[in-house]
Amino acid sequence: MALLEINNIDISYGKTVTVKDCSISLDKGEICSIVGESGSGKTTVIRAVLGLLAGGGKVTAGDIIYEGRSLLTLNDREWRALRGHDISMIFQDSGAMMNQTRLIGKTYVEYILTHENISKKEAWEKGAEMLGRMRLPDPDRIMRSYPFQLSGGQRQRVGIAMGMTYQPRLLLADEPTSALDVTTQAQIVRQMMELRDEYGTAIIIVTHDLGVASYMADKIVVMKNGVIEDQGTREHILHETENAYTKKLMEAVPSLGGKRYV
Amino acid sequence: MFDEKDLVLEAKHVTRRFPAAGGRELVACNDVNLKMYRGKTLGLVGESGCGKSTFMRFLVWLDKPSEGEIWFRGKDITKLKGRELWENRQHIQMVFQDPSTSFNPKMKIRDIVCEPLLNFKRIKHSEKDARARALLEMVELPGEFADRYPHNMSGGQRQRVAIARALALEPEIVVMDEATSALDVSVQETVIELITKLQREKNITIGFICHNLGLIQSFSHQIAVMYLGNIVEVMPGEGMADVCCHPYSKALLDAVFDTKMDFSKKIEPIKGEPPSPLDVPAGCPFADRCPHCMDICRRERPVLQPLGPEHEVACHLFKKGETA
Repeated sequence: MALLEINNIDISYGKTVTVKDCSISLDKGEICSIVGESGSGKTTVIRAVLGLLAGGGKVTAGDIIYEGRSLLTLNDREWRALRGHDISMIFQDSGAMMNQTRLIGKTYVEYILTHENISKKEAWEKGAEMLGRMRLPDPDRIMRSYPFQLSGGQRQRVGIAMGMTYQPRLLLADEPTSALDVTTQAQIVRQMMELRDEYGTAIIIVTHDLGVASYMADKIVVMKNGVIEDQGTREHILHETENAYTKKLMEAVPSLGGKRYV
Repeated sequence: MFDEKDLVLEAKHVTRRFPAAGGRELVACNDVNLKMYRGKTLGLVGESGCGKSTFMRFLVWLDKPSEGEIWFRGKDITKLKGRELWENRQHIQMVFQDPSTSFNPKMKIRDIVCEPLLNFKRIKHSEKDARARALLEMVELPGEFADRYPHNMSGGQRQRVAIARALALEPEIVVMDEATSALDVSVQETVIELITKLQREKNITIGFICHNLGLIQSFSHQIAVMYLGNIVEVMPGEGMADVCCHPYSKALLDAVFDTKMDFSKKIEPIKGEPPSPLDVPAGCPFADRCPHCMDICRRERPVLQPLGPEHEVACHLFKKGETA
């Protein structure tokens, strides 16, 4: 049985259907990249998986099945147990998603205490340990910092550490490296790959960087205007596909020793 | 490849210090020497905060270096004042990273692209319509867009308008600060195609800032790699991947993901983050993250030395005349 099955879903904001007839299935430990241009609906799809559609968006047709049960019928309490525990999400700028006036440690402890019945001190230690595992230097200092005191790369690693605290079975990453330098991006990509190798986490990564998408993914989904244009294994998308849009998108990626314009 | 008589702009020993708390100093650019040639593109790469934007800002007088000279049209432009400075501004123009924040949202596209022309009294108000159309058509946009506002356009279209505005005065140099970073790959490709086409037609010199080596090598004639305010390597754009030899440039190259790479390759990112520019180490600035760090690297700062044609590198691994 697949870990996650998105079956023919439509997502609508009010009367406008933004994503139409979208189906993706994901096995345990599999990495799937969703690529496409801005506004193609890629973020909307993964937000729907976690029930986090902004501004009154709704899944109006189809179903999302996670480990055999539908995610669309969960009540608040069931969601709370699932989110951040079984399914986690990393945002484009994790630092901006945190409260700027609270210490990272405080935010982290609150998160841990939602899912576990332990003392604050234990929770703090657990947080610091996770930060250390994400190769953040001096985890205790980071726990005592505010989000704005850290660099973009460090904040993103804090976000990943939080997301990975309970070794979720499914990690949703929304443009996790788009705001970062190439060198930091390489570090983050490597860390996400290690998560899969160590814990067997399945990952859906939404990105417009086709280079990153093809490096990480077992399979690639190409979206355009809210519809899945093409999907398949990495080899299929990169080499075999007949789809004109996919081909055009792949050719546009600047590559070393590739096309030169001058 | 580069002819000295085509030299358009030369920066000599440019240094910029910012005062910081506690009486300390932040050195954003340290002894930068760069040359720009007519009709050629100089690509400046490096991580955030390495001083690449600071340097390009000197060229458009958004800032002044603390030391050093920048020679353009036979004058040191860092010393210009008043009317002369104003006159000179027409020759160097800039395209910014985010086209949605670099326009006045209340101005129509017509007024945006013609503002520089009116400013320097190159056209009369009655000629605005025709000129705006011509400029928009130059960047391959329909002339009717003149009546739109910036928010009615997509990011790629807005970036084209920004290019039209920068080229309106027919400058000799255009500085582009991450001009394609906010765009989708497919849009990015068309914008780069447009830029290179206009460069060939008008023989413009371009200074392009970017942190993606893969992108920049596809259209630069000359690439300078910057780290913590220092230029560590200057090399030709063509065949850059083969000649680049500074450990930092190599690390930047390794960090590029593209669809034609070997996917089984384990990525070896450089460790850590650049040290704070407030306390740059005494020796080579890259020493702490360098896999080939030697004793001398901690003591002595390497200087740029010629290594091959159009190729200079600042690293103790390479001595004069020796190849890697």
